[in-house]
Amino acid sequence: MSTPASTPALAGAIAAHRFGLGEPSLEAVGSDPQAWLNGQIGPADAPQGSSLLGTAAALENVATELRARRAARAAAPGSAASAPDLANLYREVIAADVRSRLLTAASTTRPFAERLQLFWANHFTVSLAKGSVRGLVGAFERDAIRPNIAGRFETLLVAATTHPAMLRYLDNWLSAGPHSRIVALEARRAARRDEGTRVSGINENLAREVLELHTLGAEGARNGAYTQADVTAFAAVLSGWRIARDPAADASRFDPDWHEPGRKTVLGKSYPEGPNALYELLHDLARHPAAARFVATKLARHFVADEPPPALVDRLAAVYLKSDGQLGELYRELIHHEAAWTPLPAKLKTPEEFVVSTARLLAAGERMFERPEVNAGGAVFSLGQRVMAAPSPAGWSDRGDDWLGPDAVWKRVEWATRVADRAGRSVDARRLAVESLGPRLGAESARQIERAADGSQALALLLLAPEFQRR
Amino acid sequence: MNPNDRQRNDRFPQSPARRRLFTAAAAVTGSLAAWPTLTLAGAAGPGTNRLVLVILRGGLDGLGAAPAIGDPDFAAARGPLGQFAAPPLRVDPTFALHPSLVELHAMVGQREAAIVHAVGLPYRERSHFDAQQVLESGGTRPYELSTGWLGRALVASGSKGLALNTTVPLVLRGRADVDTWAPSVLPDPSADLVARLERMYAGDPALATALERARQLRADSPMATQDAAPAGMAASGPRPGAFVTLSRRAAEFLAQANGPQAAVLEIGGWDTHANQTNPNGPLAAGLRQLDLGLAALRAGLAADGAWQRTAVVVVSEFGREVAVNGTLGTDHGTGGVAFLLGGAVQGGRVVADWPGLAKGQRYEGRDLRITTDLRAVLKGVLGDHLKIASRSLDAEVFPDSAKVRPLQLLRG
Repeated sequence: MSTPASTPALAGAIAAHRFGLGEPSLEAVGSDPQAWLNGQIGPADAPQGSSLLGTAAALENVATELRARRAARAAAPGSAASAPDLANLYREVIAADVRSRLLTAASTTRPFAERLQLFWANHFTVSLAKGSVRGLVGAFERDAIRPNIAGRFETLLVAATTHPAMLRYLDNWLSAGPHSRIVALEARRAARRDEGTRVSGINENLAREVLELHTLGAEGARNGAYTQADVTAFAAVLSGWRIARDPAADASRFDPDWHEPGRKTVLGKSYPEGPNALYELLHDLARHPAAARFVATKLARHFVADEPPPALVDRLAAVYLKSDGQLGELYRELIHHEAAWTPLPAKLKTPEEFVVSTARLLAAGERMFERPEVNAGGAVFSLGQRVMAAPSPAGWSDRGDDWLGPDAVWKRVEWATRVADRAGRSVDARRLAVESLGPRLGAESARQIERAADGSQALALLLLAPEFQRR
Repeated sequence: MNPNDRQRNDRFPQSPARRRLFTAAAAVTGSLAAWPTLTLAGAAGPGTNRLVLVILRGGLDGLGAAPAIGDPDFAAARGPLGQFAAPPLRVDPTFALHPSLVELHAMVGQREAAIVHAVGLPYRERSHFDAQQVLESGGTRPYELSTGWLGRALVASGSKGLALNTTVPLVLRGRADVDTWAPSVLPDPSADLVARLERMYAGDPALATALERARQLRADSPMATQDAAPAGMAASGPRPGAFVTLSRRAAEFLAQANGPQAAVLEIGGWDTHANQTNPNGPLAAGLRQLDLGLAALRAGLAADGAWQRTAVVVVSEFGREVAVNGTLGTDHGTGGVAFLLGGAVQGGRVVADWPGLAKGQRYEGRDLRITTDLRAVLKGVLGDHLKIASRSLDAEVFPDSAKVRPLQLLRG
């Protein structure tokens, strides 16, 4: 094993902040930082919080909404169902989901596992920015991501791709094979009634993003690893994967009536008709060298540097291929690789990481997430990142530049000021700085915190110190 | 008056083959030669011109926003997408605007807006993220450049930029002097805290620079502390009117005598894979928001006379397939549409080397064929409006683009 950092105390500080979500005291890490991280490798914690719905119940909510819309249309033909009533169906579900995500991250004793959960939820983005997944994102994270973060990549890929939230988010539930039974039926129905068809063919959104954003990467397309023809054929394989008509009886998300008949050729390999082709294809994608490289690069970028050291990426990609995509093996390699322990932190925390690590620093736990005036979801939003609502399927950026605009930094200053006004009188920021940052606390920051005008200003300075903003 | 042969005022040809056209808006009769040659009293040293770039992220459906209703293949090619809830707003015998684009249509009528059709990037694949990288970097392949073309242009012209966003988009990145601004929801921190932070950031140049710029910008902002709180967590998508608010603020900054010369606004939600014909669906709603935002820009700049010195360019990373997909939407394509507006624009027309819509005329049988390189549009605007030398445009702003001749789109 390589020596991770020059002193055990520095290694402890790096473990707590770079691989975790910060600790009020480095005592939490103990004397062997690598062992502390190693011991966290496994499925993510059970989520904290209450009123959390499983996937089946969340889908039942969606069905309730549809029924309500239909009833409203029937009651007042021609008018859209009144939006506020329907929004209420989701508001509580979404509030509970967001609160649970932040509370779990703020209170876990396995912050490395939680970081990985956040990383993979962002890799397989399903976003509230799209109306069709309202109320499903929390269930997606809990059921598809959390249990699977440390198993094989293929398992995670299958769970994410076939989850109803993903099938809705990237439109696959609306995609029908051009020669499927439903298209023929719809065409006849439409002809009979002299209307347009409502279902007529393929939507290739999910196929493209699985290739580009989840497995082979955009670089894969540029290097010719896949082509437009592969996207189209993959979309045909995916056709039929949609929401079961009766979500409570969620035995299968595959509807053969919507599936494109016949064999399909993707990446030069022929796949049979039917649902199993998707599993075979995802199996093959997960073993593709481009996927190894893509996952290795993203993981190294997330934890180490915006432009990760090539040696680290090569090593992670090699471990991925050798272990057949065992993610736990990748994490072990990462935390034992010298390049991951450079003393200077290269990464800027995202707004969500900043807010969560602040809650951990102040041991604020429940309090931070109960009081509406310091509502943590709202806080993250005001800093430029809406929890569970990334702007596109690519998820939130993992590069510091994207969070370093003047306005973004200013919003951090404003938020830290407000938090410190409330909490600064009851904590000793000077002691907290030393205990939390250990040897990472630089002389200038220590001096400014020491000389602060009052406790609130000292805490604001600690929260805004480069040592706390970066990891 | 137009040195570029693309700009000849051809009549609309009857041939279904590729045809050159350059049309005056039907609403505006009279010859194009009758452009007023007088300009703008008191205008316009190079430093005082204003450029606004609006990036539509997600891939705008060019044939949805500016349908070629007069193309003989339009109805067959577009199927249900050729039907609009209200009649499209006619521009000339061939082209119209989506019924949501009321204000833009009025600006075309006043010769303040032009439509550039069948336009696109040198990049011909269909990835949003790669295409946006090319759109903003100004390269020909994704990730060959890591700074933005507008950032490089601002360096070349010694101008200042502004991103109406919390972060700096790639298009403005580089060595240029760029500020960011977005509405604030929290009270201002004390000047004393900021002074201490400045000392603390002495060893972290990235944080120090961001803080210093933010501080100056807050001091300059006319509306610094008056913004309403954003909508709650449960809302989906960008909150309604956000783009209009940003447009209004952009106009305020741009109207200041020592304000930025260039501003970048962004608006997402154009990835219309489904439900595109719905009059309340994502395309119609997005275009309505865009339209109101453009009108707000105009109103804000007109008050100070700055509109006459303004060019606004509206672009998207790619267009969409010509044909409808299985979900009454469109999948990713290549060729699309761009809009130019502002008092500096020679408007009232559609600029297009129209490729036609029949299957054989499409790119790969799927997309509107790109016949105008978007860089020709951007180079024309940057050269004429920010007075950037063509050598710099060819080599630095858009590297290796000497073969892409600038289009003349502004009033001479």
